[in-house]
Formats: sequence, C-alpha cells, structure tokens
Amino acid sequence: MDPRASFVLVGLSHRTAPVAVRERYVVRHCDLQSTVTALRGLPDVQECFVLSTCNRTEVLAVGTKGVDLVASLQAQLFRNLEARHVYTYADVQALIHFFRVASGLDSLVLGESEVLAQIKHGMEASAAAGALGPALRPLLQQALHVGKRVRAETALGRGTLSVARVGIDVAARVFGSFERVNALVVGAGETGILVARHLRERGVGCLSFATRRPERAQDAARELGAEIAGLDRLRELVLRADLIVACVEADAPPLEVQHFDRRALARRDRPMVVLDLSVPRAVAAQVASLSPNLIVSDLDDLQRAVHENERGRARAVDGTSEILVAEIHKFLTLRTYSAFTPAIADLRRRFEQVRETTLDAISGTRTDPKEVQIAHELTKRLLDVALDQMKAGARSVRSEETLEVEYQRFLQSLSTERAPGCGPETP
Amino acid sequence: MMAVLLPAVYATSAALFAGAVDADRERAARWTLRVALVLHAADIVLRALRVQEFPIVDLWTTVSATAFSTALLWSLVARGARHSGSGGILLALVAFVQFLASSFVELEPVARAVPLDTLRIVHVAMSVVAVSALVLSGLHGVLWLTLFREMRNRRFGFLFQRLPDLDVLSRMTRRAALAGFLGLTVGLNVGIALAHSLKSPGFDYRHPEVLLSLLLWVHFGVVAFSQLIPGLGARRASFAAAGGLVVLLLSLFLMLLPNPFHVGA
Repeated sequence: MDPRASFVLVGLSHRTAPVAVRERYVVRHCDLQSTVTALRGLPDVQECFVLSTCNRTEVLAVGTKGVDLVASLQAQLFRNLEARHVYTYADVQALIHFFRVASGLDSLVLGESEVLAQIKHGMEASAAAGALGPALRPLLQQALHVGKRVRAETALGRGTLSVARVGIDVAARVFGSFERVNALVVGAGETGILVARHLRERGVGCLSFATRRPERAQDAARELGAEIAGLDRLRELVLRADLIVACVEADAPPLEVQHFDRRALARRDRPMVVLDLSVPRAVAAQVASLSPNLIVSDLDDLQRAVHENERGRARAVDGTSEILVAEIHKFLTLRTYSAFTPAIADLRRRFEQVRETTLDAISGTRTDPKEVQIAHELTKRLLDVALDQMKAGARSVRSEETLEVEYQRFLQSLSTERAPGCGPETP
Repeated sequence: MMAVLLPAVYATSAALFAGAVDADRERAARWTLRVALVLHAADIVLRALRVQEFPIVDLWTTVSATAFSTALLWSLVARGARHSGSGGILLALVAFVQFLASSFVELEPVARAVPLDTLRIVHVAMSVVAVSALVLSGLHGVLWLTLFREMRNRRFGFLFQRLPDLDVLSRMTRRAALAGFLGLTVGLNVGIALAHSLKSPGFDYRHPEVLLSLLLWVHFGVVAFSQLIPGLGARRASFAAAGGLVVLLLSLFLMLLPNPFHVGA
C-alpha cells in the first residue's frame, strides 16, 4: 500500500439532503459499475468505491496525497448540486464517517443492517471495474467487520432494524392490528420482500405483490402466501388495498393518480396508507391530495418519525464509540505496518544473507548442525526484535487517545450540522 | 383539604401519564390515578354520610361526580384497550374540571330540602355516568381526528409518539359511546317514567332538553355500533363522536336553565 495515498469521501445523505434531492443523485444498481469506471478514470484517482442507498450516495476514493480530488469527484457525481447538500471528509475523518455508515450509526433507521449488503454490492461493482486496490479493499473489509461487531456487541443490534420495519411501524399506528388489512407491496426486490415478511410476521390479512417481472418473484410470493401480479394490474390491486408499500427502482413513478379510483376513495371511510420507501420516489406527488382518507409518507417522513425518539437512539449508541475508535486504530496501524512490508522482506533477506556468510566464514565446508541451529535461532530472534520495534512504531503513529479526540470532534461537527430541508428540525 | 388535594393528584397523574415513556413511569402514573380515585370516592362517601343522603346535591357536586366518573371510566376503557396514551390529555381535563368543582363546591355539605327517592338516585347517577362516558367518547373522537390529521400532514411529534394507534382510539371511542348509550338508556327511561308517574305538568317530549337528550341517545348509539353499520368507518364515527360532544355540551347548558320538569333533578 502506498503510504503517500490519501482517502477522500464526498457524499450526500438524509442528514444533508431531502429525498427530492437524493433521488436525483441515486446511482441505480445496474449503473454502479459504469459510474465507478468513470470515477476511476478521473486524474489522480487510484481507487474508488460508490455506495448508493435510499439514504445516501457517496464516493470513497484514494488519491495521491496533497492532490485535491473533491472538486473533480463532486463534478462527476454531484453535478449542479448545491454545496450545502454535500459533505466531504478526508483521511481519518473519512474513515470515521465510513465506519459509522457501516455500523448503521449514520442511517435513517439507527443500526439498520441493509447497509452492509449495499456495501458488499458496491465492493463487487468496484472490483469488477478494477477500482479496488491495496488501500480500499482492506478498508471496505474492515468496515464490514466493524459493522458486524458493533451490531453484535452493543444494543444497536437488538431487534432487526430496517427502513421496511419503520414503515410498517408507522402503518401500525393507523391499523393497530394487521389482521384485517389488505396490503399491496409494489416491487419485489430485497426491500419489498422484507416489507412483505414483516407484514406476514404481524399477521397481515391479505398480501399482494405488484412487480414489473412477476415471474422473478414467484418463489418469494409462494413462501409468503402472497398473490403476485404485473404492474398492468396495479389499478385493480390498489382498489382493494388498505396499505400500499412502494419499494421499486424506477425513473418514473409507477404509482400515479390514475391507479387510484377516486369514487372508491370517496366512498371508503377506512384510512388508506401509502408508504413510499423508494428513491427515486415511486408515488406521484398528487396522490396525497386524492382523498382526505389517504396518508402518504415517504422516507423523509419516516425519518421525522424515527428522530422523535431521540432518547432511545442515545441509549442504543452506548459503547459504539469505543469499538469504532479501536477499529480505526487497528486499521491505521495495519495500514502503516503494511507500508513496511517491502522493507521487512528486504531486512529478512539481508539477515539471512549475513547469517549464511558468517556461517561460511567460520566453519567453511564442515558445518556443525548445532552451530547452524544456533545461528538460525539467533537470526530469528534478532529479526523478531526489529519487527516488534517496527510494529510499535506503526502503532504510535496515531494513538487511540488521539483518535478518541478526533472521533469526539467528528461527533460535535455532526451535531452542529443542520440538514437543509430534511431531518427532525423540519416541520 | 380534599378541595386542594383532588385536583392536585389528578393533575399529577395526568403529568405522569403524559411523560410515561417506559413501563416504570406508566406504573407510577396508574398508581397515582388509583390514589386519586380512592380519595375522590372517599370524599363522595364522606359527603353522603354528612348529609345522610345521595351526595349529588347541587351543580358543583354534580360536576365533581362527573370528574370522578370520567376518570374511573377512562381507567376502565384504557385497561380494556391496553393503552394509556390518552391519559395525559383526558386526566388533565378531569383535573381542570375537578379544580373548578373544588373551587365552588360548598365545604360544608348542605342537604336537599326533600331527599331523593331511589328512582331519582338512579336517574341522576346514570345520567352522570352517561355524560362522563359521552364526554370520553367525544374526546377520543377528537383525538382520533387530531392524530389522523397529524399523520396526514406528516407531523410526527408529541401526539404521534404518545397517543395510542388510530385503531385503539377508535375502539376507545366506541366503547365509551356504548357505556354512555347504556347509561343514557337507563337514565332517560327512568327520567321519562318519573315524569309520567308524577304527571309532571311541564314535561313535554318536544322540550329542547328532552329532544337533545333523545338525539344524543340515538347519536351515540350509532357511534357505539358504527362497526356494524356499512359505510361508517373510524373516521366518520370519530366525526360523529366529536359532533356529539358539541350537542352534549349544549344539552348540559340547557339543563342549567330553569325548566318546569327538571327542578331539583
């Protein structure tokens, strides 16, 4: 690993941009590899990785130290975006941020684990684009490890948290029990199936899927006891639904005003809930005004619902900072130490060369096996002493205490940040 | 002492229910309400012993009994619904009503000139229970509409966090309406029977007070059985309950006006 390389992270998230902005910069799963390739092609970018979820779009890049990559990355990925929606971090700050993201500490739903799968998807795309190297690969692997460790060792992992679950919780505030609820899930991707699972666990009365390719979700539908249909039958399914959850990846909203029967809506007195968990949004904005019985919520609304419970959030993050600081320290130590790898190999080779030369000079051709054994043991011990000193040197590059201070400073900067047009402050 | 203590204990339990974010605090709130109810019941019994008759003797003892009945009914309805999220708001109202009653009630109870007979006691007691239940139903209807409006307008603040689910609020509205409907059924029938048996000269079915009472009886009957009526869902039932609350207040106001058949009831 080149010690002269530095990390740069540029991104936007639910903390800094409302869903109306986020949906413009989301990188679809199928476009991930080409986006990474384009970013990798920028001057001075050695490695790069893109994470795009419903909460965030971020690029983590490795460049030559001293060269400012922010402007070029921003111009490539966040063209025409106001600066107030974007955050940038470098080196340790970038590590802190990314490890927090992997741990679910920066997620809309605290501790949600979907982000780990999304990091893995991003890794695959970066690897396929040839943009993963000795700097990013270990970082991403360690981020996944940190994400798992934080969830396993703190209260953050208790309960299976996800956006899907929060959405169902909000719907439960309307229906109470789901026994008499007719639910329609639009989209049968990972989130759609997760939503359907949560609904089944809560005993939903009737469950249907509407998806572009029904044949691809037959197994899931069968397992969940759900009806499955194509998007051409959307109007018919919407007509009988009490709860509609849209989780699709589409450029144009698949759920338009014409899918709702105005007369039926006017007749019904039971509230109808439409949850839009998609980025870009899948429910047309005009749908909310169709009937006074309709409650339409998108991800920003769920974020507000989640943020009201700040007390619970504070309790859940107890103990996470110690783990993160220790893991960042471990990563930096390994990174510095791995920079010594060529020097260590050279040192080992030279030690062995000196040993062989000395043995030859002392014993000539008649070597005593005992002397050879002593010489080998001595070389090994001297080499171990030298390596220990190098390890100690690598560890002392940045102490855990210094990192703890940096971590607290990072948290302070987060608390003073205000999300424009989103977050709990927005009414 | 009770005059100060009762509103204070009700207010404390209201505050505790409003801030009950975990099981321990909710338990503390429930116990405080139990203390308030026991104290209030003791106060009513002591008054009855002192006047040696039914303790509802004037406007303010009626108001105090209504506050007690409302708090008691709420605790029963909330227990049935297994959710006490509406306690903060409902008990704050009870505390306020009890504060008014405590401020104006005679400290030395004065007995009626003519003690009430059993039928009149049943009429008054059931009317107080019915009014309390209908107030509860109406307020839960208002809470349903408020929470629905909050969610529709994408506001997820205090009310969203503290109030029960819309479904639970709807159930509480219907159950309270059913209690009110039953209480009103007994109270009205006994009242009409009394008026007929005494051949009360001023009694007339067309009198606004009688008409409003009958309207309330039908209205809350519809709310109570709204689940069985096609097209009458939670939203319309909540509107009906909230509207019924307005009619109820109007009816109570009419009761305060002098009328020939309701003097001393």
